Amino acid sequence: MAALLTAETSDYSRAMATVSTDAQAEEAMLIEQAQRSSKRAFEALYRLHIDRVYGVCLRMTGNVSEAEDCAQDAFIQAWNKLHLFRGDSAFSTWLHRIAVNSVLGRMRKSKREQERIMAVSDETPPRLETGDSGELRDLSDAVNQLPEGARNVFVLHAVYGYSHDETGEMLGIATGTSKAQLHRAKRLLAQQLKQEGFEA
Amino acid sequence: MNDEKLMQAAARLATDVRPERDLWAGIEAAISEPVASRWRPMLAQAAAVLLLVGATSTITYLAVKDTSPRAIVTTPDMIFEQASFGNRYTLGPGFQDARNGLVAELNVEFARLSPEAEADIKANLTMIHTAINNMNDELEKDPENTLLQEQLLRMYHEELALLRRVSGLSRNVMMRNDI
Repeated sequence: MAALLTAETSDYSRAMATVSTDAQAEEAMLIEQAQRSSKRAFEALYRLHIDRVYGVCLRMTGNVSEAEDCAQDAFIQAWNKLHLFRGDSAFSTWLHRIAVNSVLGRMRKSKREQERIMAVSDETPPRLETGDSGELRDLSDAVNQLPEGARNVFVLHAVYGYSHDETGEMLGIATGTSKAQLHRAKRLLAQQLKQEGFEA
Repeated sequence: MNDEKLMQAAARLATDVRPERDLWAGIEAAISEPVASRWRPMLAQAAAVLLLVGATSTITYLAVKDTSPRAIVTTPDMIFEQASFGNRYTLGPGFQDARNGLVAELNVEFARLSPEAEADIKANLTMIHTAINNMNDELEKDPENTLLQEQLLRMYHEELALLRRVSGLSRNVMMRNDI
């Protein structure tokens, strides 16, 4: 039985590895074609990665239309810089970095405008449609209400799993600052969730 | 919710979210536009920077030559935004310290200068700040553009040099008044 399980596990692992390798090979081929100006290949890359790129944009901006603009902008920039992609990191990571840069650029540009809007509006931000359910939905809402710096670090580190070094590099802050912002985010989230009756 | 549970819950949040509408049409339209020469705007920017540097130097020189009576106390209404360098890099603490020190002195310095000289200096600083903001905007779009990076750095140096000249200018005035 154990041998059978081992064999099955091994077969499963091999099968998954094959799938993964196939997907990687397909992606590499699409990148190569897109680098040779194939829009069809680039569209296929867009279809492969849009959900993740839009996800990070939405979690960082907390706003659907801003997130759409950022995601769109990220892919346009990716197209323009595709010749610079050498495969040193995964394509998804490279794309994510561009998306984060796009979000940061837009945030800085619209900061004054946002401050002006927030000053005259006390409305609670609308709930984001992120596909989370139950308690996670409340956490998602609480993350959306974090201050910008803490939210960006929390999203990249805690949600997307980037290390503090990577998070710091992506956001243009020191690793220590990333750690401090995460600590702040966790404290604020705990307070927020406690107020809403989520204690564990 | 303790830290560990919070982090576990965060790791379960959806990382992939399907946008409500297909964004490809907009992307395709943007990447299908004929690519404008990248060198033309860059050369135009370089020319604008050179012109700006020349103009600020000339105006400051003229301001230094101004020897009219000076007694009006004014408050500078210049806005010195946090110095930034595209959205990837920040300028070193040495620059920030020097800049902060000179900006703090600006109020005192303006009080000792003629309104005309003050207006000239403010106009110069506004021009420099406009150029810095424009370059920062361009750098956000193209963070690897070394020419823009160099130009932006040059503009920050120009701002610092102007602030230093203003500081020296007022001290000269004081000395002449003392005599």
